[in-house]
Amino acid sequence: MALKGISIVAARCLSSLDLLFRLDRGLPQSNLRLVVDGLVGALAIGVVATTPVAAQEKPSSLGLGIFTFTSGPAAAYGMPGKNAADLMIDEMNAKGGIEGVPVKATYVDEAQGAQGVIAEYRRLAADAQNQVMVAALSSANCLALAPLAEQLEVPTVGWNCDTHQLLMDGKSKYVFRPNGNTVPEFIAYAIYLLDRKPGVKTVAIINPDYAFGHDAAKIFTAALKALKPDVEIVAELYPKLGAPNYQTEISRLATARPDVVFSNLWGADLENFVRQAAPRGIFTSSQVILALGETVLQRVPLPDGVIVGVLGDGWWMSPDAKANPETVKFAEAYKTRFGEYPVFPSIKMANTLIYVKAAYKAAMLKNGGKWPTRAELADAMKDSKVTTLTGTVQTRADNDGVVDQIVGVTVKAPAQQFPVIGDMVRYKGSSLMPQVGQDPLAWIATLKPEFAKSLPKPGSYK
Amino acid sequence: MRTIAAAAIAVLGLAVLPIAAPWLQFVLTLAIAKGFAALGVAVLLRAGLISIGHAMFFAASAYSVAFLARVGIHDLGLLLILSVLAGGIVGAVVGSFLVRYRAIFFAMLNLAVSMVCYALCAKLYGLTGGTDGMPVPVPTVFGVELAEPAFKSVLFYLSLALMVLVGLSIQRYLNSPLGHALSAVHTNEIRLEYLGIPVWAILLIAYVISAALAGLGGAIAGFAIGRVVPDFAFWTASGHLVLIAVLGGIGGVPGAFIGALFLELLHSAAVTVTDSWNLIVGMTLIIVIMFMPQGIYGLFTRKEASSL
Amino acid sequence: MLNAIIPLLLDSLASAALIFFAAVGMTLVFSVLRVLNVAHGSLYSIGGYVAASICLFIASRQLSPYLSFAALLFSAVFVAAIFGPLIERGLVRWTYGKSEAVQILITFGLFLVLEDLQRLIFGVQSFYEDTPMRLLGTTSIGGVVYLNYQIFLIGMAVLVVVGLRLLINHTRLGRLITAVVTDREMAQSIGIDTNRIFILAFSLGVFLAALGGALATPTSGIAPGLGADTMVLAFAVAAIGGLGQIEGAAVASLIVGLARVLAIYLAPSLDAVAPYAAMLVVLLIRPYGLFGSVTARRI
Repeated sequence: MALKGISIVAARCLSSLDLLFRLDRGLPQSNLRLVVDGLVGALAIGVVATTPVAAQEKPSSLGLGIFTFTSGPAAAYGMPGKNAADLMIDEMNAKGGIEGVPVKATYVDEAQGAQGVIAEYRRLAADAQNQVMVAALSSANCLALAPLAEQLEVPTVGWNCDTHQLLMDGKSKYVFRPNGNTVPEFIAYAIYLLDRKPGVKTVAIINPDYAFGHDAAKIFTAALKALKPDVEIVAELYPKLGAPNYQTEISRLATARPDVVFSNLWGADLENFVRQAAPRGIFTSSQVILALGETVLQRVPLPDGVIVGVLGDGWWMSPDAKANPETVKFAEAYKTRFGEYPVFPSIKMANTLIYVKAAYKAAMLKNGGKWPTRAELADAMKDSKVTTLTGTVQTRADNDGVVDQIVGVTVKAPAQQFPVIGDMVRYKGSSLMPQVGQDPLAWIATLKPEFAKSLPKPGSYK
Repeated sequence: MRTIAAAAIAVLGLAVLPIAAPWLQFVLTLAIAKGFAALGVAVLLRAGLISIGHAMFFAASAYSVAFLARVGIHDLGLLLILSVLAGGIVGAVVGSFLVRYRAIFFAMLNLAVSMVCYALCAKLYGLTGGTDGMPVPVPTVFGVELAEPAFKSVLFYLSLALMVLVGLSIQRYLNSPLGHALSAVHTNEIRLEYLGIPVWAILLIAYVISAALAGLGGAIAGFAIGRVVPDFAFWTASGHLVLIAVLGGIGGVPGAFIGALFLELLHSAAVTVTDSWNLIVGMTLIIVIMFMPQGIYGLFTRKEASSL
Repeated sequence: MLNAIIPLLLDSLASAALIFFAAVGMTLVFSVLRVLNVAHGSLYSIGGYVAASICLFIASRQLSPYLSFAALLFSAVFVAAIFGPLIERGLVRWTYGKSEAVQILITFGLFLVLEDLQRLIFGVQSFYEDTPMRLLGTTSIGGVVYLNYQIFLIGMAVLVVVGLRLLINHTRLGRLITAVVTDREMAQSIGIDTNRIFILAFSLGVFLAALGGALATPTSGIAPGLGADTMVLAFAVAAIGGLGQIEGAAVASLIVGLARVLAIYLAPSLDAVAPYAAMLVVLLIRPYGLFGSVTARRI
C-alpha cells in the first residue's frame, strides 16, 4: 500500500516538473498530465500487483505456480491436468491443506511461448509465498525453465517433463521429475511391439517437431534396432506442433506402406491425426502405436488393436488403481465434476501434487515441525519414495523418478462407451532405465534380444 | 535544453525504478531491447520504407549469441559486438538486393526473407534446437564470473547506458546529411538521383544500421531471457516492432524507446488482469494511428515530425 | 513411377485448393481497393469457427447431416455480410490515399483485435467437426485411400476461379469493378458509385476467406493461432501470383502446394521452409509476381 502511495506522489511530482521546465508550452496541460499519469498508473498497478508479501512462520497460504496449457491445440492435453489440479487442491484444502496451510495455485498458460513462460516464472518466484513450481507440460518449456530453477533456487517439480535431456547432467539440485522419462517409456513400446508382432519389418514414424518428438523417435528406433536389427525405418515425419492438417503426411505414410506406424503426437494434434487418418485406412493397413493414445480414448473412436499406453502407470482403470479406494474416489469425483474420466495427464498431475505434499511432510519431520524453506523442500524431495494414486515413485540420485510402465491395446468394453486398454503389461520402471549418469542411447545399444525375454509378457497384468 | 533535462530525468527514473520493484528489471531490460529494434524500424520508416521483417535481425543476433556461446566465447562485450556485427552482416547481404524495392514490395520481400529465416530456425532441429530453441548461458563480464541476479543487474544498466549512447549516435546520424537524405528519398527519390546522390547506397547504409540496431536488441533480449526461440523471427514479432515504432512516434529517437517502455509496462500490468492482451494492443494501435499520428512522443513536442 | 506421381499430384492439388481460398480474397481486395489486408487470415479462421459451431449445433439437434454442407456456405455468407461492410466502412475507408505504412498498421491492429475476439467468443479449446468429410466417403487412387472431400475441395476451388473470371468478364458488376481497378478517378467522374463497389469487393473478399475457412474445417481442426499461420501463407501465394491476379493466385497456390508436398516426400525437415523459399525465389526473379505487371510509380 505504501508503494501505491509513493507512486501516486511520484506521478504528481512529475506533473509539477513539467510546469517547472515549461514542457507544457503550447500544449494543453491535461494531455501531458494524462500521459504521465497513465504511465505511472500502469507502473503503480504493476508494482502493487506483484509486491511480495513478507514471509511469516506458517504462511496464510501456500502458493504453487502450476504451468500447463490452457489454450490452443495443446489444451486438449493440458486442461485435464489443470482440472486434476483443481480437484486435488480442493480436496486437500477441504482436509485443511498441506500441513494445515491452505493451498493456492496460480496457473500459467504455456501457450504464450517460452518468453512469456519465463517471465511468469520469474514473477512468481519473486513472491516468497510461492515455494514450489509445478512446471511444465511441454518439454521445450521444461528445458527452458530448468536452468532458471537452479539459478533462482526454487524447487521445480516437472509434472509432465519426460524428456531425458532434462536431468542428463545429473547435477540438478532444484529440478525434480516424479514421473518417468522418455527412455523407459519408449523402450516399453518397442518391447511390447516385438512381443505382439515378432515379424515386424518396416516402421514409419510421425512425431511432433520438437524435443519430445525427436527424442521418442531416437529412443524407439534405437531400442527396435537393438532388439531386432533388421527393422527398417521407411519414413520419419515431423509435422509442426499444432499443425491442424495431416492429409499430406497421411498420404506419405500410405505410400510407404509400413508394417507399423508409431506416433507420439498428443493433444488436439493427436485427435486431428486420428480423425483424419482413420477414414483413410491407416489403422487397417498398419499396426498403429499411439504412445499418448489413452488421452483420446474418450474423445475419438479408436478401432481395436491400437497399441496405447499411459507413459507411466497412471491409468485410472488399471488393476492397481481399481484396488486403491482413494483412486476410485478421485476418478468418480473427476467424472462428476468434469464429465469424463481422468486421463493420464490428470493422474500425473494428481500424483505430482501428492509428491509435493509428501515433500512438505518429510521436510517438516526433518527440521522439527517448522515451516520448511525452499532449500529444505528440495532436500526432502531428494531420494524420496512416495506412494501415488497408481503406484510408487522412487526418486533417484539424479532427481529422476522411477515409475512402472503400463502398455496395452485398445479393446471394446461392454461397460463403457469408449474403448479401454486390454492385454496389458506392467514393466518395472527400474528394469527399463539406464544407470545414473549413463548415456541412454549408448545403454540402449547394448541391449540384446534376450533382455526382452526376461520381462513380463502382454496380457500378464490383470 | 529542456529536452535534455527531460531525457536525463527519464533515464535516471528508469535507473532507479528496479530498486523500488526488483521484478521490473527484467521487463525494463526487454523493453529497451525491443526499443532498439523498433528504432531500427523507425530509421527505415523515415525513408518511407516499412519493413515487416526486422524480427529476423533480432533473431539472427540472438541466435549468434547462442552459437558463439556454444563454440566457447563467453565474454559479454565480445558476444555483444560479434552478434551485432552478425546482425549487420545479414542486413548487408539481405539489404543489398532488398533496397532496390519500394513500398508494398519492400514490405513483402522483407516478410518473405524473415519467414524463411523463421522456418529454417524452426525446422533444423539438429542445428538450432528447432522450436525448443537454444539456451544462452550467463556470460563473464571482463573475465569475472557473475551469479545470475548480479549479471541481470549489470545487463540492465549496460542496456540503459547503451540506450543513451546509441540513441545519441543515431540522433547525430539522423541529423547528418545521410539522415536527411532518407527523408528526401521519401519525398522525391528521382530528384535526389539527379542531384548526384546515390539513393541505393544511402538506403543500404540505413538498412545495415537498422539491422545492427535490431541485432543489438536481439542480443540483449537473448541475454535477458536466457533462451532464444524461432518465435523471435515470426512475422507477428516484426509487426509488433513496427507497432512500437509508430506508437512511440516516428518523430525521433526517444519515440522508439517510449513506445517500447509504454507497451511493456502496460503488458505487465494488463496480464495480471486479463488474457485479451492482443485486443488492447490492437485497439491502441488503431486509436493511435487514427487520432495521434505523431505517436506518444508527439504529445511532448511541437516539432513538425515527418508524418506517415 | 506412375504410382509415385499420382499421390504427389493429388496431394499438391488438395493442398493448393485450401491455400487458394485463403489467398484469392486477399488478392481481389488488393486489386480493387489497393489495400493489403493483414487481417485476412483472421477472417479465414472466423469463417472456420462459425462453420464448426453451426455444424456442432446441427449435430446436437440431430438434424440431417447433409445440412452441414449448407452450413459451410451459409457461415461464409454470414461472416461476409457482417464483417465486410463493417470493416470496410469503419476502418479501411479511412486509409484510402494514405501511405502503405498506415494501411498495413491499421489492418495489423485489426488482426490483433480479431484474434482476441475469436478467443473470447469461441473459447480457446480446439474444435473438430468432420460430418461433411465422413458423409462423402473415400476412394482408392493409385493404391492410396483419399477422401472424396479432398476432391470436392479441388472442385470447389476450380469453381471459384471460373466463377470469379465469369463475374469479372461477363457481369455488369464485373465491368464496374474492372473500371474502378483501372482508373479510380475516371470511374468516379463518369458516375460510378465507387464507395458501393468498394464495399461489395471487400465483402466478396471476406466471403472467399470465410468460405476457405469453412471448407477447411472438416479436414483440419480449428484452434487459436490458425489466423496468423494462414495469413502469411496467403501472403506468400498472393505475392507469388501477383497481387490482384486471380489466375495468378491459382497458379501460385499450385506452386506452393507442390513445393510443400515435394518437401514432405523428399526432405521432410524442410516442409515449412518450402512455401517461403518459393516466394523468395519468385519475387527475386519477378518482384511483381508471376502475373503481375509493373505499375508506374507516381512521384
